[in-house]
Amino acid sequence: MDIDKIFNQLKEELLGIFNNSFKDLKGEAKKDLEEFLVQSEEKLRRWTLLLASGDITQDEFAWLVKSQKDLMLFHTLYATGVSKIKLGHFKNKVIKTIISTIIALI
Amino acid sequence: MKTFIKSVLIIISVFVLNACQTTKTAIFDQYTYQKTIEIKIETESLMDKANTPYNQNLQEIGELLQEVKTVMEYEKNRPNNEITYNMWRLLCEKDKNFIVGFLNQWQKSGTVSTTFIPEAKGQISEAFDLLIKYEVKKDKTNQGLLSDFINANN
Repeated sequence: MDIDKIFNQLKEELLGIFNNSFKDLKGEAKKDLEEFLVQSEEKLRRWTLLLASGDITQDEFAWLVKSQKDLMLFHTLYATGVSKIKLGHFKNKVIKTIISTIIALI
Repeated sequence: MKTFIKSVLIIISVFVLNACQTTKTAIFDQYTYQKTIEIKIETESLMDKANTPYNQNLQEIGELLQEVKTVMEYEKNRPNNEITYNMWRLLCEKDKNFIVGFLNQWQKSGTVSTTFIPEAKGQISEAFDLLIKYEVKKDKTNQGLLSDFINANN
């Protein structure tokens, strides 16, 4: 079994999802997702070794790999949610500034 | 004149606020936070039994799924709560490898290997941790700055 070949193929697939979903992300969210990719690499290597040693079945291996892709979706939602909260804070600051200006003018 | 200026400025603020409606996020909810932690722990302890036959755990499986269903219904009806609700939907979708996906795998094979359990548990726990982390990031109170201002000036 060519572990590196399997691993590189999986990494490419995850990178594909990453590039499509997160091209507009910046800062903390992007950093979180890059960390996710590093963790994915470690997991994929470990699972491939467990499969090669017969500790997990092919079905279980496939389940784990798919769960990592599904986790990517979960991270997408999380990053979107956090960005939304931050944008909400920015909105509040804008409104606060408008209110202060109104009070100062009246 | 003073009232007129005030009214015009309030109207401008209302437009600003409306333009930002899409950024609205539900505030932190203690029930959600507690329930998510509880269900995470229950899921993990059920997964620990996955090296025993699926059919021997039907009652516990049924109870867990019922609890998840209740929380999902609660999350669905919280205003501005799409992200959390969608996270729960992912956790429970048949074709996603989280709670229901794991139960399907268990049912299909009767039992799962002891090496697989901690690996799968790690995956599902990570998803739960994101749900919990996201709930904690939400604001603790509703910041109705504009309504506070309007109320104070009426």
